[in-house]
Amino acid sequence: MASPLHDSPNAAVNGTSAVEAKSRLPKRSRLHADSSPPLFTPSDILSEFSHHDPTVARINNGSFGSCPSSVVSAQHDFQLQWLQQPDDFYFNQLQPKILQSRTIIKDLINADHVDEVSIVDNATTAAAIVLQQMAWGFAEGKFNHGDAAVMLHYAYGAVKKSVEAYVTRAGGCVFEVPLPFPANSVDEIVHEFRQALQRGKQNGRRVRLAVIDHVTSMPTVVIPVKELVTICREEGVDQVFVDAAHGIGCVDVDMKQIGADFYTSNLHKWYFCPPSVAFLYCKRSINNSDLHHPVVSHEYGNGLAIESAWIGTRDYSAQLVVPKALEFINRFEDGIDGIKKRNHESVVEMGKMLVEAWGTHLGCPPEMCSSMVMVGLPAYLGISSDRDALNLRTCLREKFGVEVPIYYRSPKDGEDGVVTGYARISYQVYNKVEDYYKFRDAINQLVHNAFTCASLPNS
Amino acid sequence: MQHEDPRNGESAHRSSKKPKLSSKFITESDTRDEFSHHQPRVARINNGSFGSCPGSVLTAQRHWQLQFLCQPDAFYFNTLRDGITASRKIIKDLINADHVDEVSLVDNATTAAAIVLQRIGLSFAEGKFQKNDTVLMLHCAFQAVKKSIQAYVTRAGGSVIEVRLPFPVNSEEEIISEFKKSIEEGKSNGRKIRLAIIDHITSMPSVVIPVKELVRICRAEGIEQVFVDAAHAIGSVKVDVKEVGADFYVSNLHKWFFCPPSVAFLYCKNSTSSSDLHHPVVSHEYGNGLPIESSWIGTRDYSSQLVVPSVLDFVNRFEGGIDGIMKRNHDEVVKMGKMLAESWGTNLGTPPEMSAAMIMVGLPSRLCLNSEEDAVTLRSHLRDHYGVEVPIFHQVSKDGEEEVRDKDGFITGYVRISHQVYNKLEDYEKLRDAINQLVEDGKTCKMLYTE
Repeated sequence: MASPLHDSPNAAVNGTSAVEAKSRLPKRSRLHADSSPPLFTPSDILSEFSHHDPTVARINNGSFGSCPSSVVSAQHDFQLQWLQQPDDFYFNQLQPKILQSRTIIKDLINADHVDEVSIVDNATTAAAIVLQQMAWGFAEGKFNHGDAAVMLHYAYGAVKKSVEAYVTRAGGCVFEVPLPFPANSVDEIVHEFRQALQRGKQNGRRVRLAVIDHVTSMPTVVIPVKELVTICREEGVDQVFVDAAHGIGCVDVDMKQIGADFYTSNLHKWYFCPPSVAFLYCKRSINNSDLHHPVVSHEYGNGLAIESAWIGTRDYSAQLVVPKALEFINRFEDGIDGIKKRNHESVVEMGKMLVEAWGTHLGCPPEMCSSMVMVGLPAYLGISSDRDALNLRTCLREKFGVEVPIYYRSPKDGEDGVVTGYARISYQVYNKVEDYYKFRDAINQLVHNAFTCASLPNS
Repeated sequence: MQHEDPRNGESAHRSSKKPKLSSKFITESDTRDEFSHHQPRVARINNGSFGSCPGSVLTAQRHWQLQFLCQPDAFYFNTLRDGITASRKIIKDLINADHVDEVSLVDNATTAAAIVLQRIGLSFAEGKFQKNDTVLMLHCAFQAVKKSIQAYVTRAGGSVIEVRLPFPVNSEEEIISEFKKSIEEGKSNGRKIRLAIIDHITSMPSVVIPVKELVRICRAEGIEQVFVDAAHAIGSVKVDVKEVGADFYVSNLHKWFFCPPSVAFLYCKNSTSSSDLHHPVVSHEYGNGLPIESSWIGTRDYSSQLVVPSVLDFVNRFEGGIDGIMKRNHDEVVKMGKMLAESWGTNLGTPPEMSAAMIMVGLPSRLCLNSEEDAVTLRSHLRDHYGVEVPIFHQVSKDGEEEVRDKDGFITGYVRISHQVYNKLEDYEKLRDAINQLVEDGKTCKMLYTE
């Protein structure tokens, strides 16, 4: 249906792409009798993200997220309140407001009780909390030397290091689940996971912890976490920790359905909060009473949620604007579910557009990606190392105004002339089709100019 | 009006940047403007707890925050690391450290304590230390540090010695003698003292501790490592880490050094024993040294770590820079303390030479402050009914110790007053009058619970 704004800034290209259709106003604004605010128009959205560098095709929401100006403004208000009278804020405001944020998150993620929800800086911090508990398990003889932890080969770099710092150092053995990439099906993942668990359990070892990404970072693939958690329970894994840094606002996040012991997700990535705030969900059970924030304050021993709510004097304002982020989200049609759906459909559409333009392929089938997807880069570019990938990224940023992370996939034995580089494109509400055309054209330009990574400095 | 820089000719390490000779010093009205965001109706005499930050530094901070939001990837790859290094270099010069590698930026002293103590805990777990090897701390150490010792030392099998320092205190000798006694006690069953944690300026009650002397004693007594918790130090007393001689030294920059919440430096003397120190939040930088690890602990707002250069600019607008500020704060807080003690007929908790920019002032005994709850209640009452913000300390009487009296009874409560550049005489008069009013009305702390 034609809308009054069909010549909006987003409709630069004639045609009926889904991306453009979604950027138009719905048929009529929804103004309820209870006067909830009207849905955002495209021009509202432009204005909410007007602080983004306009010269940049910002197709990397996955790395650092984004925050609309109305939420930033709410954050400034809280910062100012603290600066005005910090003692009063500390004694009278801070704890109730953190509790309010936790309560909203509890409802969003279908947790049973607000005690299960702690707010921390980011998934990196959550990993340290869960893994430090593992270290104590070894140190205090609860675990045997050589007991195992299992994680995905594509686990986030920080998490791998945290496992090294807290598990390997304490005497645990770590097993990685190799995953094929490009990914073809969920069954492959399930199969590899089962194998890895078997390796972990050899020689009478116990698998004390499985660390499973909900959405891997690089390369990005949506992992069938519910199924893997079920397998863990069947195989007698002590505890399961789901690293869902990209979870909330990106995929469905239902704690009871997924069934993990620990689940963490960043709210500053896909849930429109400012840097930085994340939740760590800990299923209430006897095993979890011993979780602590590594930065110990006077609240030590009062439960993780209370410990995390005060780790010394700091700026807690990012934790306080969750209600405002929810308000922002609810001004989109169908709220976060609508946003997730449209982001997913748009990123798949843009991904297909790019692979068609370049003659490459997507890194996974559409049903295995969320609001990010890996897009093969022309083999001609000759990406042959992590360094090349980083250098190409820098070249795209500095010469073409395109921000997109690049992943190097080393060829396997026997593979020849294959795609070795993938771009991870994201789609968030502020993106427009022009962002992806800019990227498409930049790569086409490079190929046209017979550019290869070998010609970059530091190659 | 032009002023000569009074610090020409002073030692080069004092600060890395001298004010331009042609610039005026900041006026009283400028200072008021810089702190115009402070609640005007509150007599804010508690800079010690949460610090303060001037408007021009907040503006600089906003600028950094906006840069990140505008293009975070470019900020991460091109700007952040250099910005943090610039801050670390300034701090290195301020504190007379040898090398910038010795300076890490962390959120606050609480985090620094976790870093140092986590390593101690690991040493127990890995068998480097024996069960009942000891950590020594002051009895009045900050509660977070005490809990950190419980979490990382006691839990790992270590034991703890607490040094009870006298309060009120009259001389450094009293502290030194108690400290020596505790070390003797600690070593008496052949236990090895692995770490001593010494406050540079205790929090409650607040006393400036002769750290240099105590560190020297620790070395003489064979204590392996010394960690100075100087949360209040920088911007309030002189900080020379080489002179102090500790292995680890932490101070918050958001308390007395005008940074926004929150940023602290952790100094680690370059030695093999500090090579195995890690930030507990592990990122991909793990193993690259504490300063690098601390400079990236996941996506967060690092802007408060980036404004140190702007803070130096601010501080150098004052006559005498940070030295001038420290001296004037000290002189004023002592003067105000004496004014209050005289008006109330009470005492100061420390002599002027053992106070920095904070001082403890005895409360009239007639208030009958007999518990921690009484202290909290009185503090809330002062905030809610008189618009005065000041922390209150309950002095527990110790057996055999001579207690201080006023004309009506024993002095069991103290206020900890602070003085920072934004404070004025009226702030302290407001406190003076509030307490006098309560006494005149015959109020005790218990009676305030219901009000």
